Amino acid sequence: MAMDKERIRLGNSTPSTTILQAKGYNGPISIPDDLAIRIEDLSITYKINVDTKKTLKNAVMRASKGEKVRMRTVEAVKKVSLDIPHGSVVGIVGANGAGKSTLMRSIAGIMPPTTGRIIVNGKISTLLALGVGFNPALSGRDNIILGGLAAGLTRDEIESKTDEIAEFADLPDGFIDMPVRTYSSGMYGRVAFAVSVSMTPDILLLDEALSAGDAAFKEKSFLRMRELVEEARTIVIVSHALATISDLCDTAIWMHKGKLLAHGEPGAIVEEYLKFLEVGTLPSNLEDM
Amino acid sequence: MSAAGSDQRAASAKRPATPLIQVFEPHKAQTPPLIPYAKEFWERRAFALELARFADKAEYLESKLGKAWLVLNPLFLSVIYFLLVTVLRGGASKTTGLSTLAHILIGIFMFYFAQNIISDGAQSITAGGRLILNQAFPRALLPFSSSVRAFGQFWPTIPTYFAVVLIGKIFYPKTVIPLADLNYLWAPFIIAALAITAFGLSLVFAVMNVYFRDTSKLLTYTTRIWLYGSPVLWMPEMLHGWHRSFLYINPLGPALAATYHVWIEGVRPSNAEFIGMGAWMVLSMVLGTYFFTSRERDFAVRI
Repeated sequence: MAMDKERIRLGNSTPSTTILQAKGYNGPISIPDDLAIRIEDLSITYKINVDTKKTLKNAVMRASKGEKVRMRTVEAVKKVSLDIPHGSVVGIVGANGAGKSTLMRSIAGIMPPTTGRIIVNGKISTLLALGVGFNPALSGRDNIILGGLAAGLTRDEIESKTDEIAEFADLPDGFIDMPVRTYSSGMYGRVAFAVSVSMTPDILLLDEALSAGDAAFKEKSFLRMRELVEEARTIVIVSHALATISDLCDTAIWMHKGKLLAHGEPGAIVEEYLKFLEVGTLPSNLEDM
Repeated sequence: MSAAGSDQRAASAKRPATPLIQVFEPHKAQTPPLIPYAKEFWERRAFALELARFADKAEYLESKLGKAWLVLNPLFLSVIYFLLVTVLRGGASKTTGLSTLAHILIGIFMFYFAQNIISDGAQSITAGGRLILNQAFPRALLPFSSSVRAFGQFWPTIPTYFAVVLIGKIFYPKTVIPLADLNYLWAPFIIAALAITAFGLSLVFAVMNVYFRDTSKLLTYTTRIWLYGSPVLWMPEMLHGWHRSFLYINPLGPALAATYHVWIEGVRPSNAEFIGMGAWMVLSMVLGTYFFTSRERDFAVRI
Protein backbone atom coordinates (compact mmCIF):
# COMPACT_ATOMS: atom_id res chain seq x y z
CA MET A 1 0.00 0.00 0.00
CA ALA A 2 2.87 2.38 0.72
CA MET A 3 4.02 4.40 -2.25
CA ASP A 4 7.19 3.71 -4.10
CA LYS A 5 8.95 6.46 -6.04
CA GLU A 6 7.58 5.23 -9.40
CA ARG A 7 4.49 6.59 -11.09
CA ILE A 8 1.45 4.91 -9.54
CA ARG A 9 -1.25 3.44 -11.75
CA LEU A 10 -4.63 3.32 -10.04
CA GLY A 11 -7.30 0.72 -10.83
CA ASN A 12 -6.97 -2.91 -11.85
CA SER A 13 -6.91 -2.69 -15.63
CA THR A 14 -3.87 -3.55 -17.71
CA PRO A 15 -2.08 -0.68 -19.44
CA SER A 16 -3.12 0.05 -23.02
CA THR A 17 -0.61 -0.17 -25.81
CA THR A 18 -2.40 2.42 -27.98
CA ILE A 19 -0.61 5.71 -27.55
CA LEU A 20 -2.26 9.08 -28.26
CA GLN A 21 -0.05 11.90 -29.45
CA ALA A 22 -0.65 15.54 -28.67
CA LYS A 23 1.22 18.80 -28.65
CA GLY A 24 2.35 20.23 -25.32
CA TYR A 25 3.71 23.71 -24.70
CA ASN A 26 7.22 22.29 -24.69
CA GLY A 27 6.99 19.77 -27.53
CA PRO A 28 5.08 16.60 -28.40
CA ILE A 29 3.58 14.46 -25.63
CA SER A 30 2.05 10.99 -25.59
CA ILE A 31 -0.46 9.25 -23.36
CA PRO A 32 -1.91 5.67 -23.44
CA ASP A 33 -5.51 5.90 -24.66
CA ASP A 34 -6.92 4.12 -21.59
CA LEU A 35 -5.77 6.92 -19.28
CA ALA A 36 -8.04 9.77 -18.28
CA ILE A 37 -5.39 11.59 -16.24
CA ARG A 38 -1.61 11.28 -16.17
CA ILE A 39 0.27 13.26 -13.53
CA GLU A 40 4.02 13.39 -14.07
CA ASP A 41 6.30 14.42 -11.20
CA LEU A 42 3.96 17.23 -10.22
CA SER A 43 5.03 19.88 -7.73
CA ILE A 44 3.08 23.01 -6.96
CA THR A 45 4.39 25.88 -4.89
CA TYR A 46 3.02 29.35 -4.47
CA LYS A 47 3.54 32.39 -2.31
CA ILE A 48 0.98 33.84 0.02
CA ASN A 49 0.88 37.18 1.78
CA VAL A 50 0.84 36.52 5.53
CA ASP A 51 0.30 40.13 6.53
CA THR A 52 -2.97 40.61 8.38
CA LYS A 53 -3.74 43.73 6.33
CA LYS A 54 -3.42 43.01 2.60
CA THR A 55 -3.74 46.63 1.59
CA LEU A 56 -1.81 49.02 -0.59
CA LYS A 57 -1.67 51.37 2.39
CA ASN A 58 0.05 48.70 4.49
CA ALA A 59 2.50 47.90 1.67
CA VAL A 60 3.38 51.60 1.29
CA MET A 61 3.79 52.00 5.06
CA ARG A 62 6.10 48.97 5.16
CA ALA A 63 8.07 50.22 2.17
CA SER A 64 8.54 53.62 3.86
CA LYS A 65 10.14 51.77 6.80
CA GLY A 66 12.33 49.78 4.43
CA GLU A 67 10.36 46.58 5.13
CA LYS A 68 8.91 44.14 2.60
CA VAL A 69 5.43 42.61 2.55
CA ARG A 70 5.65 39.34 4.55
CA MET A 71 5.34 36.38 2.21
CA ARG A 72 5.41 32.63 2.82
CA THR A 73 6.13 29.96 0.23
CA VAL A 74 3.68 27.05 0.36
CA GLU A 75 4.77 23.72 -1.10
CA ALA A 76 1.27 22.40 -1.65
CA VAL A 77 2.06 19.35 -3.83
CA LYS A 78 5.43 17.59 -3.87
CA LYS A 79 6.58 15.33 -6.70
CA VAL A 80 3.33 13.44 -7.29
CA SER A 81 3.16 10.94 -10.17
CA LEU A 82 -0.09 9.14 -10.88
CA ASP A 83 -2.01 7.45 -13.69
CA ILE A 84 -5.81 7.39 -13.47
CA PRO A 85 -7.49 5.14 -16.10
CA HIS A 86 -10.85 5.97 -17.67
CA GLY A 87 -13.71 4.61 -15.57
CA SER A 88 -11.92 4.96 -12.22
CA VAL A 89 -13.59 6.42 -9.16
CA VAL A 90 -10.77 7.80 -7.04
CA GLY A 91 -11.18 9.18 -3.54
CA ILE A 92 -8.61 11.49 -1.98
CA VAL A 93 -8.30 11.70 1.79
CA GLY A 94 -5.97 13.75 3.92
CA ALA A 95 -5.89 16.36 6.65
CA ASN A 96 -6.36 20.07 6.00
CA GLY A 97 -3.34 21.44 4.15
CA ALA A 98 -2.49 18.05 2.63
CA GLY A 99 -2.65 19.47 -0.91
CA LYS A 100 -5.88 17.73 -1.99
CA SER A 101 -7.66 20.83 -3.27
CA THR A 102 -4.52 22.15 -4.97
CA LEU A 103 -4.09 18.79 -6.72
CA MET A 104 -7.72 18.92 -7.89
CA ARG A 105 -7.29 22.49 -9.16
CA SER A 106 -4.16 21.53 -11.05
CA ILE A 107 -5.97 18.61 -12.73
CA ALA A 108 -8.74 21.06 -13.70
CA GLY A 109 -6.14 23.42 -15.23
CA ILE A 110 -6.92 26.13 -12.69
CA MET A 111 -3.51 25.99 -11.00
CA PRO A 112 -0.64 25.33 -13.44
CA PRO A 113 2.24 23.18 -12.16
CA THR A 114 5.45 24.65 -10.80
CA THR A 115 7.29 21.61 -12.12
CA GLY A 116 6.04 18.42 -13.76
CA ARG A 117 3.11 17.96 -16.11
CA ILE A 118 -0.54 16.92 -16.16
CA ILE A 119 -2.13 15.35 -19.22
CA VAL A 120 -5.91 15.02 -19.24
CA ASN A 121 -7.87 13.11 -21.88
CA GLY A 122 -11.54 14.11 -21.78
CA LYS A 123 -14.00 16.86 -20.96
CA ILE A 124 -13.72 17.97 -17.34
CA SER A 125 -16.54 19.17 -15.11
CA THR A 126 -15.68 20.55 -11.69
CA LEU A 127 -17.34 21.35 -8.44
CA LEU A 128 -14.43 22.64 -6.40
CA ALA A 129 -16.15 25.62 -4.76
CA LEU A 130 -19.88 25.71 -4.08
CA GLY A 131 -21.91 28.30 -5.97
CA VAL A 132 -20.46 28.24 -9.44
CA GLY A 133 -20.52 31.82 -10.72
CA PHE A 134 -23.64 32.57 -8.80
CA ASN A 135 -24.81 36.18 -8.83
CA PRO A 136 -27.35 36.50 -5.98
CA ALA A 137 -29.41 39.15 -7.80
CA LEU A 138 -30.00 36.91 -10.83
CA SER A 139 -32.46 34.05 -11.11
CA GLY A 140 -31.44 30.42 -10.75
CA ARG A 141 -31.99 29.97 -14.51
CA ASP A 142 -29.64 32.86 -15.36
CA ASN A 143 -27.03 31.54 -12.95
CA ILE A 144 -27.22 28.05 -14.40
CA ILE A 145 -26.63 29.53 -17.87
CA LEU A 146 -23.64 31.52 -16.56
CA GLY A 147 -22.20 28.47 -14.80
CA GLY A 148 -22.59 26.39 -17.96
CA LEU A 149 -20.96 29.00 -20.17
CA ALA A 150 -18.06 29.29 -17.72
CA ALA A 151 -17.66 25.52 -17.97
CA GLY A 152 -17.36 25.79 -21.75
CA LEU A 153 -20.86 24.75 -22.85
CA THR A 154 -22.73 26.69 -25.51
CA ARG A 155 -25.83 28.66 -24.55
CA ASP A 156 -28.09 26.21 -26.43
CA GLU A 157 -26.52 23.22 -24.68
CA ILE A 158 -26.99 24.68 -21.22
CA GLU A 159 -30.50 26.05 -21.90
CA SER A 160 -31.65 22.58 -22.95
CA LYS A 161 -30.53 21.25 -19.55
CA THR A 162 -31.88 24.03 -17.32
CA ASP A 163 -35.20 22.39 -16.44
CA GLU A 164 -33.50 19.06 -15.86
CA ILE A 165 -31.05 20.78 -13.47
CA ALA A 166 -33.89 22.54 -11.61
CA GLU A 167 -35.72 19.22 -11.25
CA PHE A 168 -32.61 17.44 -10.04
CA ALA A 169 -31.90 20.22 -7.52
CA ASP A 170 -35.42 19.75 -6.08
CA LEU A 171 -36.23 23.44 -6.43
CA PRO A 172 -39.82 24.26 -5.40
CA ASP A 173 -42.15 25.34 -8.24
CA GLY A 174 -41.18 28.67 -9.76
CA PHE A 175 -37.94 29.01 -7.79
CA ILE A 176 -35.85 28.52 -10.91
CA ASP A 177 -36.92 32.02 -12.01
CA MET A 178 -36.48 33.62 -8.58
CA PRO A 179 -33.31 35.50 -7.55
CA VAL A 180 -30.70 33.19 -6.03
CA ARG A 181 -30.53 35.42 -2.92
CA THR A 182 -33.97 34.03 -1.99
CA TYR A 183 -32.59 30.47 -1.95
CA SER A 184 -31.67 28.61 1.22
CA SER A 185 -28.04 27.50 1.52
CA GLY A 186 -29.18 23.92 0.81
CA MET A 187 -30.93 24.96 -2.42
CA TYR A 188 -27.83 26.92 -3.42
CA GLY A 189 -25.58 23.90 -2.93
CA ARG A 190 -28.01 21.56 -4.68
CA VAL A 191 -28.14 23.74 -7.78
CA ALA A 192 -24.33 23.91 -7.89
CA PHE A 193 -24.08 20.11 -7.64
CA ALA A 194 -26.81 19.63 -10.24
CA VAL A 195 -25.00 21.91 -12.70
CA SER A 196 -21.72 20.03 -12.36
CA VAL A 197 -23.22 16.54 -12.83
CA SER A 198 -25.42 17.62 -15.73
CA MET A 199 -22.49 18.50 -17.99
CA THR A 200 -22.04 14.83 -19.03
CA PRO A 201 -18.32 15.10 -18.39
CA ASP A 202 -15.72 12.45 -19.14
CA ILE A 203 -13.98 13.44 -15.91
CA LEU A 204 -15.81 14.80 -12.87
CA LEU A 205 -13.82 16.50 -10.10
CA LEU A 206 -15.67 17.03 -6.82
CA ASP A 207 -14.21 18.74 -3.76
CA GLU A 208 -16.45 18.38 -0.69
CA ALA A 209 -19.39 18.74 -3.04
CA LEU A 210 -21.46 15.93 -1.57
CA SER A 211 -22.01 17.85 1.66
CA ALA A 212 -24.73 19.95 -0.04
CA GLY A 213 -28.34 19.44 0.91
CA ASP A 214 -30.23 17.26 3.33
CA ALA A 215 -30.18 13.46 3.75
CA ALA A 216 -32.66 12.95 0.89
CA PHE A 217 -30.57 15.03 -1.52
CA LYS A 218 -27.40 13.25 -0.41
CA GLU A 219 -29.04 9.95 -1.32
CA LYS A 220 -30.07 11.41 -4.69
CA SER A 221 -26.53 12.70 -5.25
CA PHE A 222 -25.13 9.25 -4.47
CA LEU A 223 -27.54 7.68 -6.97
CA ARG A 224 -26.51 10.16 -9.66
CA MET A 225 -22.85 9.51 -8.88
CA ARG A 226 -23.45 5.77 -9.18
CA GLU A 227 -25.11 6.37 -12.57
CA LEU A 228 -22.04 8.26 -13.68
CA VAL A 229 -19.88 5.43 -12.35
CA GLU A 230 -21.96 2.89 -14.28
CA GLU A 231 -21.47 4.98 -17.41
CA ALA A 232 -17.78 4.46 -16.70
CA ARG A 233 -16.98 8.12 -16.30
CA THR A 234 -13.86 9.00 -14.36
CA ILE A 235 -14.57 10.62 -11.02
CA VAL A 236 -12.13 12.10 -8.51
CA ILE A 237 -13.62 12.97 -5.12
CA VAL A 238 -12.09 14.87 -2.22
CA SER A 239 -14.08 14.41 0.95
CA HIS A 240 -13.68 14.46 4.69
CA ALA A 241 -16.79 12.26 4.82
CA LEU A 242 -14.84 8.99 4.80
CA ALA A 243 -17.97 6.88 4.37
CA THR A 244 -18.46 8.59 1.00
CA ILE A 245 -14.96 7.53 -0.07
CA SER A 246 -15.54 3.92 1.07
CA ASP A 247 -19.01 3.70 -0.53
CA LEU A 248 -18.37 5.36 -3.88
CA CYS A 249 -14.74 4.85 -4.79
CA ASP A 250 -12.89 1.85 -6.11
CA THR A 251 -9.48 3.32 -5.30
CA ALA A 252 -8.34 5.82 -2.70
CA ILE A 253 -5.21 7.83 -2.18
CA TRP A 254 -4.00 9.44 1.00
CA MET A 255 -2.21 12.76 0.77
CA HIS A 256 -0.14 14.17 3.59
CA LYS A 257 1.74 17.48 3.52
CA GLY A 258 1.73 17.57 -0.27
CA LYS A 259 2.93 14.01 -0.76
CA LEU A 260 1.07 10.99 -2.00
CA LEU A 261 1.42 8.80 1.05
CA ALA A 262 -0.53 5.67 0.16
CA HIS A 263 -2.98 4.27 -2.37
CA GLY A 264 -5.15 1.21 -2.56
CA GLU A 265 -8.56 -0.22 -1.66
CA PRO A 266 -10.66 2.58 -0.10
CA GLY A 267 -11.60 0.67 3.07
CA ALA A 268 -7.95 -0.02 3.90
CA ILE A 269 -6.82 3.53 3.14
CA VAL A 270 -9.64 5.02 5.21
CA GLU A 271 -8.79 2.66 8.08
CA GLU A 272 -5.11 3.70 8.02
CA TYR A 273 -6.09 7.34 7.81
CA LEU A 274 -8.51 7.02 10.73
CA LYS A 275 -5.78 5.42 12.83
CA PHE A 276 -3.53 8.37 11.97
CA LEU A 277 -6.27 10.81 12.99
CA GLU A 278 -6.68 9.00 16.33
CA VAL A 279 -3.01 8.75 17.30
CA GLY A 280 -1.65 11.73 15.35
CA THR A 281 1.42 9.90 14.05
CA LEU A 282 1.96 8.22 10.70
CA PRO A 283 2.11 4.42 10.50
CA SER A 284 5.73 3.26 10.86
CA ASN A 285 5.85 1.97 7.25
CA LEU A 286 4.97 5.47 5.94
CA GLU A 287 7.08 7.61 8.23
CA ASP A 288 9.95 7.97 5.80
CA MET A 289 7.72 9.22 2.96
CA MET B 1 -17.53 -0.94 -5.05
CA SER B 2 -16.09 -4.35 -5.76
CA ALA B 3 -12.81 -4.95 -7.50
CA ALA B 4 -14.66 -7.14 -10.03
CA GLY B 5 -17.06 -4.28 -10.78
CA SER B 6 -14.12 -1.98 -11.18
CA ASP B 7 -12.51 -4.39 -13.64
CA GLN B 8 -15.71 -4.65 -15.71
CA ARG B 9 -16.05 -0.91 -15.80
CA ALA B 10 -12.44 -0.42 -16.72
CA ALA B 11 -12.92 -2.85 -19.57
CA SER B 12 -15.91 -0.92 -20.89
CA ALA B 13 -14.58 2.45 -19.83
CA LYS B 14 -16.08 5.23 -21.89
CA ARG B 15 -13.31 7.12 -23.58
CA PRO B 16 -13.90 10.40 -25.38
CA ALA B 17 -15.13 9.65 -28.93
CA THR B 18 -12.37 11.87 -30.23
CA PRO B 19 -9.43 12.27 -27.86
CA LEU B 20 -9.65 15.59 -26.06
CA ILE B 21 -6.17 16.01 -24.70
CA GLN B 22 -5.28 18.93 -22.49
CA VAL B 23 -1.75 19.45 -21.24
CA PHE B 24 -0.96 21.55 -18.20
CA GLU B 25 2.71 22.46 -17.92
CA PRO B 26 4.74 25.08 -16.02
CA HIS B 27 4.60 28.50 -17.60
CA LYS B 28 7.77 29.84 -19.19
CA ALA B 29 8.83 33.19 -17.71
CA GLN B 30 5.72 32.95 -15.51
CA THR B 31 3.35 33.66 -18.39
CA PRO B 32 1.13 31.14 -20.19
CA PRO B 33 1.95 30.58 -23.90
CA LEU B 34 0.41 33.59 -25.62
CA ILE B 35 -1.00 31.97 -28.78
CA PRO B 36 -2.97 29.15 -27.06
CA TYR B 37 -4.08 31.71 -24.46
CA ALA B 38 -5.34 34.11 -27.13
CA LYS B 39 -7.03 31.24 -28.99
CA GLU B 40 -8.87 30.08 -25.89
CA PHE B 41 -9.76 33.69 -25.05
CA TRP B 42 -11.40 34.01 -28.47
CA GLU B 43 -13.19 30.65 -28.21
CA ARG B 44 -14.67 31.56 -24.82
CA ARG B 45 -15.73 35.10 -25.80
CA ALA B 46 -19.43 34.11 -25.61
CA PHE B 47 -18.97 33.64 -21.86
CA ALA B 48 -17.55 37.17 -21.48
CA LEU B 49 -20.38 38.68 -23.53
CA GLU B 50 -23.08 36.85 -21.55
CA LEU B 51 -21.37 37.71 -18.25
CA ALA B 52 -21.50 41.38 -19.26
CA ARG B 53 -25.17 41.09 -20.20
CA PHE B 54 -26.08 39.32 -16.95
CA ALA B 55 -24.06 41.76 -14.79
CA ASP B 56 -25.99 44.62 -16.40
CA LYS B 57 -29.29 42.84 -15.87
CA ALA B 58 -28.47 42.20 -12.19
CA GLU B 59 -27.52 45.83 -11.57
CA TYR B 60 -30.65 47.38 -13.02
CA LEU B 61 -33.13 44.64 -12.06
CA GLU B 62 -34.64 46.54 -9.15
CA SER B 63 -34.24 50.09 -10.42
CA LYS B 64 -37.49 51.66 -11.63
CA LEU B 65 -35.76 53.75 -14.26
CA GLY B 66 -33.60 50.77 -15.18
CA LYS B 67 -31.07 51.42 -17.89
CA ALA B 68 -32.21 55.03 -18.30
CA TRP B 69 -29.72 55.73 -15.46
CA LEU B 70 -26.91 54.83 -17.86
CA VAL B 71 -27.68 58.07 -19.70
CA LEU B 72 -29.22 60.12 -16.90
CA ASN B 73 -26.27 59.75 -14.54
CA PRO B 74 -23.55 61.23 -16.82
CA LEU B 75 -26.09 63.72 -18.21
CA PHE B 76 -26.85 65.13 -14.74
CA LEU B 77 -23.14 65.14 -13.89
CA SER B 78 -22.38 67.07 -17.07
CA VAL B 79 -25.03 69.67 -16.26
CA ILE B 80 -23.64 70.05 -12.72
CA TYR B 81 -20.08 70.44 -14.04
CA PHE B 82 -21.33 72.89 -16.70
CA LEU B 83 -22.98 75.02 -14.01
CA LEU B 84 -19.80 74.91 -11.89
CA VAL B 85 -17.57 75.87 -14.82
CA THR B 86 -19.82 78.74 -15.94
CA VAL B 87 -20.12 80.05 -12.36
CA LEU B 88 -16.30 79.98 -12.04
CA ARG B 89 -15.99 81.82 -15.35
CA GLY B 90 -18.53 84.42 -14.27
CA GLY B 91 -21.34 83.29 -16.60
CA ALA B 92 -21.78 81.76 -20.03
CA SER B 93 -22.07 83.74 -23.26
CA LYS B 94 -24.74 83.00 -25.89
CA THR B 95 -22.08 81.91 -28.38
CA THR B 96 -19.84 79.78 -26.18
CA GLY B 97 -22.30 78.41 -23.60
CA LEU B 98 -23.59 75.57 -25.75
CA SER B 99 -20.05 74.72 -26.94
CA THR B 100 -18.91 74.46 -23.31
CA LEU B 101 -21.88 72.24 -22.44
CA ALA B 102 -21.29 70.04 -25.50
CA HIS B 103 -17.58 69.75 -24.68
CA ILE B 104 -18.26 68.77 -21.07
CA LEU B 105 -21.01 66.39 -22.18
CA ILE B 106 -18.95 64.41 -24.69
CA GLY B 107 -15.88 64.62 -22.43
CA ILE B 108 -17.79 63.22 -19.43
CA PHE B 109 -19.37 60.47 -21.58
CA MET B 110 -15.94 59.45 -22.90
CA PHE B 111 -14.18 59.74 -19.54
CA TYR B 112 -16.86 57.72 -17.73
CA PHE B 113 -16.60 55.06 -20.44
CA ALA B 114 -12.88 54.71 -19.70
CA GLN B 115 -13.44 54.99 -15.95
CA ASN B 116 -16.04 52.20 -15.99
CA ILE B 117 -13.70 49.94 -17.95
CA ILE B 118 -10.90 50.58 -15.43
CA SER B 119 -12.83 50.47 -12.15
CA ASP B 120 -15.17 47.56 -13.03
CA GLY B 121 -12.25 45.69 -14.58
CA ALA B 122 -10.19 46.27 -11.42
CA GLN B 123 -12.84 44.50 -9.35
CA SER B 124 -13.63 41.78 -11.87
CA ILE B 125 -11.15 39.21 -10.53
CA THR B 126 -11.93 39.62 -6.84
CA ALA B 127 -15.66 39.64 -7.65
CA GLY B 128 -15.31 36.48 -9.74
CA GLY B 129 -13.94 34.48 -6.78
CA ARG B 130 -16.00 31.30 -7.07
CA LEU B 131 -15.72 31.22 -10.85
CA ILE B 132 -11.95 31.44 -10.54
CA LEU B 133 -11.79 28.73 -7.88
CA ASN B 134 -14.00 26.40 -9.90
CA GLN B 135 -13.32 26.83 -13.60
CA ALA B 136 -10.30 27.03 -15.85
CA PHE B 137 -10.55 29.81 -18.43
CA PRO B 138 -8.35 32.73 -19.46
CA ARG B 139 -8.86 35.10 -16.55
CA ALA B 140 -8.51 38.14 -18.83
CA LEU B 141 -12.08 37.32 -19.94
CA LEU B 142 -13.34 38.84 -16.68
CA PRO B 143 -11.89 42.36 -17.17
CA PHE B 144 -12.78 42.02 -20.87
CA SER B 145 -16.37 41.34 -19.85
CA SER B 146 -16.30 44.53 -17.76
CA SER B 147 -15.11 46.43 -20.85
CA VAL B 148 -17.92 44.97 -22.97
CA ARG B 149 -20.38 46.02 -20.30
CA ALA B 150 -18.90 49.52 -20.15
CA PHE B 151 -19.32 49.82 -23.92
CA GLY B 152 -22.95 48.70 -23.62
CA GLN B 153 -23.45 51.49 -21.10
CA PHE B 154 -21.54 54.03 -23.19
CA TRP B 155 -23.10 53.81 -26.65
CA PRO B 156 -26.58 55.16 -25.70
CA THR B 157 -24.86 58.38 -24.57
CA ILE B 158 -23.90 59.22 -28.18
CA PRO B 159 -27.49 59.78 -29.43
CA THR B 160 -28.07 61.68 -26.17
CA TYR B 161 -25.18 64.00 -27.09
CA PHE B 162 -26.65 64.65 -30.53
CA ALA B 163 -30.10 65.26 -29.04
CA VAL B 164 -28.72 67.86 -26.59
CA VAL B 165 -26.69 69.63 -29.32
CA LEU B 166 -29.65 69.58 -31.73
CA ILE B 167 -32.00 71.09 -29.16
CA GLY B 168 -29.29 73.57 -28.10
CA LYS B 169 -28.78 74.74 -31.70
CA ILE B 170 -32.48 75.49 -32.00
CA PHE B 171 -32.17 77.95 -29.10
CA TYR B 172 -28.64 79.16 -29.92
CA PRO B 173 -28.35 78.93 -33.73
CA LYS B 174 -25.13 81.00 -33.84
CA THR B 175 -23.15 78.38 -31.91
CA VAL B 176 -20.51 76.73 -34.10
CA ILE B 177 -20.67 73.02 -33.31
CA PRO B 178 -20.79 70.52 -36.17
CA LEU B 179 -23.77 68.19 -36.21
CA ALA B 180 -22.58 66.27 -39.22
CA ASP B 181 -18.97 66.42 -40.29
CA LEU B 182 -16.63 64.13 -42.24
CA ASN B 183 -14.17 64.32 -39.36
CA TYR B 184 -16.69 62.39 -37.25
CA LEU B 185 -15.31 59.37 -39.08
CA TRP B 186 -12.32 59.63 -36.67
CA ALA B 187 -14.64 59.11 -33.70
CA PRO B 188 -14.77 55.27 -33.84
CA PHE B 189 -10.97 55.17 -33.92
CA ILE B 190 -10.75 57.53 -30.91
CA ILE B 191 -13.35 55.50 -28.98
CA ALA B 192 -11.45 52.28 -29.79
CA ALA B 193 -8.12 53.84 -28.71
CA LEU B 194 -9.65 55.01 -25.45
CA ALA B 195 -11.24 51.59 -24.80
CA ILE B 196 -8.05 49.64 -25.56
CA THR B 197 -5.92 51.92 -23.38
CA ALA B 198 -8.44 51.67 -20.53
CA PHE B 199 -8.65 47.86 -20.93
CA GLY B 200 -4.85 47.57 -20.68
CA LEU B 201 -4.91 49.68 -17.52
CA SER B 202 -7.80 47.62 -16.11
CA LEU B 203 -5.60 44.50 -16.39
CA VAL B 204 -2.96 46.17 -14.22
CA PHE B 205 -5.48 47.37 -11.62
CA ALA B 206 -7.28 44.00 -11.58
CA VAL B 207 -4.03 42.32 -10.48
CA MET B 208 -3.28 45.06 -7.95
CA ASN B 209 -6.75 44.60 -6.46
CA VAL B 210 -6.06 40.89 -5.95
CA TYR B 211 -2.86 41.70 -4.04
CA PHE B 212 -4.11 44.85 -2.28
CA ARG B 213 -7.85 44.97 -1.71
CA ASP B 214 -7.98 48.73 -1.18
CA THR B 215 -6.88 49.38 -4.78
CA SER B 216 -10.47 49.69 -6.01
CA LYS B 217 -11.26 52.17 -3.21
CA LEU B 218 -8.16 54.17 -4.07
CA LEU B 219 -9.26 54.18 -7.72
CA THR B 220 -12.47 56.01 -6.77
CA TYR B 221 -10.41 59.02 -5.62
CA THR B 222 -7.71 58.65 -8.27
CA THR B 223 -10.19 58.74 -11.14
CA ARG B 224 -11.80 61.90 -9.72
CA ILE B 225 -8.41 63.66 -9.73
CA TRP B 226 -7.74 62.09 -13.15
CA LEU B 227 -10.96 63.68 -14.46
CA TYR B 228 -9.87 67.13 -13.28
CA GLY B 229 -6.44 66.60 -14.88
CA SER B 230 -7.96 65.60 -18.24
CA PRO B 231 -9.25 67.92 -20.98
CA VAL B 232 -12.90 67.37 -19.99
CA LEU B 233 -13.74 70.40 -17.84
CA TRP B 234 -11.10 72.51 -19.64
CA MET B 235 -10.01 72.71 -23.26
CA PRO B 236 -6.74 71.28 -24.58
CA GLU B 237 -5.86 74.66 -26.11
CA MET B 238 -5.65 76.11 -22.60
CA LEU B 239 -2.28 74.38 -22.21
CA HIS B 240 0.71 76.11 -23.82
CA GLY B 241 4.41 75.39 -24.18
CA TRP B 242 5.79 72.61 -21.99
CA HIS B 243 2.46 72.45 -20.13
CA ARG B 244 1.08 70.63 -23.17
CA SER B 245 3.15 67.61 -22.11
CA PHE B 246 0.49 67.09 -19.38
CA LEU B 247 -1.86 66.06 -22.19
CA TYR B 248 0.47 63.27 -23.27
CA ILE B 249 1.66 61.89 -19.93
CA ASN B 250 -2.01 61.26 -19.15
CA PRO B 251 -2.94 57.87 -20.73
CA LEU B 252 -6.42 59.17 -21.57
CA GLY B 253 -5.21 62.68 -22.47
CA PRO B 254 -4.54 62.29 -26.23
CA ALA B 255 -7.88 60.55 -26.84
CA LEU B 256 -9.84 63.13 -24.84
CA ALA B 257 -8.05 66.01 -26.61
CA ALA B 258 -8.80 64.36 -29.96
CA THR B 259 -12.44 64.00 -28.86
CA TYR B 260 -12.61 67.76 -28.32
CA HIS B 261 -11.14 68.50 -31.74
CA VAL B 262 -13.43 66.13 -33.63
CA TRP B 263 -16.72 66.65 -31.79
CA ILE B 264 -16.55 70.32 -30.83
CA GLU B 265 -14.24 71.89 -33.43
CA GLY B 266 -15.02 69.48 -36.27
CA VAL B 267 -11.34 69.10 -37.19
CA ARG B 268 -9.02 66.12 -37.60
CA PRO B 269 -7.02 65.18 -34.44
CA SER B 270 -3.41 66.43 -34.50
CA ASN B 271 -0.52 64.13 -35.41
CA ALA B 272 0.72 64.40 -31.82
CA GLU B 273 -2.66 63.16 -30.62
CA PHE B 274 -2.56 60.20 -33.02
CA ILE B 275 0.95 59.30 -31.85
CA GLY B 276 -0.09 59.73 -28.21
CA MET B 277 -3.17 57.50 -28.65
CA GLY B 278 -1.16 54.83 -30.46
CA ALA B 279 1.67 54.89 -27.91
CA TRP B 280 -0.66 54.60 -24.92
CA MET B 281 -2.67 51.80 -26.59
CA VAL B 282 0.46 49.73 -27.22
CA LEU B 283 2.09 50.54 -23.88
CA SER B 284 -0.98 49.80 -21.75
CA MET B 285 -1.79 46.58 -23.63
CA VAL B 286 1.77 45.24 -23.51
CA LEU B 287 2.28 46.14 -19.85
CA GLY B 288 -1.25 45.10 -18.85
CA THR B 289 -1.13 41.77 -20.67
CA TYR B 290 2.30 40.87 -19.28
CA PHE B 291 1.48 41.95 -15.74
CA PHE B 292 -1.89 40.17 -15.77
CA THR B 293 -0.85 36.87 -17.36
CA SER B 294 2.32 36.63 -15.26
CA ARG B 295 0.22 36.90 -12.07
CA GLU B 296 -2.80 34.93 -13.27
CA ARG B 297 -1.62 31.71 -11.61
CA ASP B 298 -1.75 33.38 -8.19
CA PHE B 299 -5.42 34.31 -8.43
CA ALA B 300 -6.70 30.90 -7.28
CA VAL B 301 -4.69 31.11 -4.06
CA ARG B 302 -5.09 34.80 -3.30
CA ILE B 303 -8.81 35.47 -3.67
